[in-house]
Amino acid sequence: MTLLTTMMERPLDAGYQEAADRRVAAGLPGATSTRTVLVVVLAILTGFLFAVAAQSLRPKPTAAAAVKKELVTRIEALQKHGTDQEAKVAALGKQVRDYEALALQQSGGTDLTSTIKDLEVQAGAVPLTGPGLTLTLDDAASTDAGADAGNRPSSGFQEGRVTSGDLQIIVNGLWGAGAEAISINGHRLSSTAAIRFAGQAIIVDFRPLSRPYVITALGDSQGMQQLFEPSFAGLYLSQLTDEYKIRSIMAGSDSLTVPGDSAVRLEVAEPVGPPVGSTAPGTTTLQQGTTTPKRSAGAGVAPTGTGASTTRSPSDTPSGTTDSGTGSPASPTSEETPS
Amino acid sequence: MIPVLGLLAGLAVGLFLDPSVPVWLQPYLPIAVIAALDAVFGAIRAILDGIFNDKVFVVSFLSNVVVAAFIVFLGDQLGVGSQLSTGVVVVLGVRIFSNVASIRRHLFKA
Repeated sequence: MTLLTTMMERPLDAGYQEAADRRVAAGLPGATSTRTVLVVVLAILTGFLFAVAAQSLRPKPTAAAAVKKELVTRIEALQKHGTDQEAKVAALGKQVRDYEALALQQSGGTDLTSTIKDLEVQAGAVPLTGPGLTLTLDDAASTDAGADAGNRPSSGFQEGRVTSGDLQIIVNGLWGAGAEAISINGHRLSSTAAIRFAGQAIIVDFRPLSRPYVITALGDSQGMQQLFEPSFAGLYLSQLTDEYKIRSIMAGSDSLTVPGDSAVRLEVAEPVGPPVGSTAPGTTTLQQGTTTPKRSAGAGVAPTGTGASTTRSPSDTPSGTTDSGTGSPASPTSEETPS
Repeated sequence: MIPVLGLLAGLAVGLFLDPSVPVWLQPYLPIAVIAALDAVFGAIRAILDGIFNDKVFVVSFLSNVVVAAFIVFLGDQLGVGSQLSTGVVVVLGVRIFSNVASIRRHLFKA
């Protein structure tokens, strides 16, 4: 292996030694000066080469990246706008509920107030606070690289990413473990909420999420954890962590808040028994009604007795009662969806 | 000292002008950089050995760069460009390491 030996043991060009020998034989010093024009020119050239290579081989921000940045700013602005509007909706919803409660109180229907509260909690229409678990999921660290590369990933699926299917299984596992209310990244999961994916993004109730995914589940945190971990979803989660390095942190807490679902709207309303006074027997029809009985509870049940507040058959109930004045704030809302 | 200043000046010019490299030339840039590094470290070692010669330096530099680029070009034409590039990088890399080791012995006596 003469080639390797030469390469390892005499890495210096033999030409240097020969030239030095020639110069010594001619009576000159072995080495020339390093300050000759040739050397300086070549040094400049070398520096230029290094700089050019470094610059041209570095990934450059492309025109697409600029457009993407612009789009990101617009998306963020609109998302902020959306969040503001949601807060407004929540505030207005609370106002409406207060009016409803007031109307009920004035008409003497206090029994209904508690029913409505109960139903609103079950439907996910109101924010809840209590003990619970937070489960934070994040993509594997290996997928971090290239996230800012300026172009979207061309390959369809990356192993280390959290998918909507993962979230579905975990959320269902949490429900199964006894969670009473769940939100993901601040989006309340009502019974009509869907976790889906579009392209690379996970979408909850038509709102795209960005990582990390924080699942907040209210309930008995100790009990939930004990039930969740040996369940299918718990094992699935630990598999995700082991196999694909998806990061997950579960933590219990004494006071967590899940927001109300602002998208709750009236879908079906039914009259509750005889209008004025005797309210108790009819309340069961509400619970069969829909998953989102907020408005129906407020308007359809309104003991004002104005049958116009039901969506199905405004004419089949008695009308023109004495309380129609107090019922007026509630009745107009019955047939429209809250914005 | 003056060559070092020249190197810095060249770096500054390259960074400041930011010339666009034609696409066909881009595969040769990394190899050219490695070859240039090899020549530069060889020259530093020759200076320390006391046998530096400017003509030898220039010729070795240019021939290194040209030969390395030619090998990559040939490999591209034959369809084995990446393998030949690897070969060039290995050979020049070993030479750079040996020369740097020798420079280290000169400077630190270790």
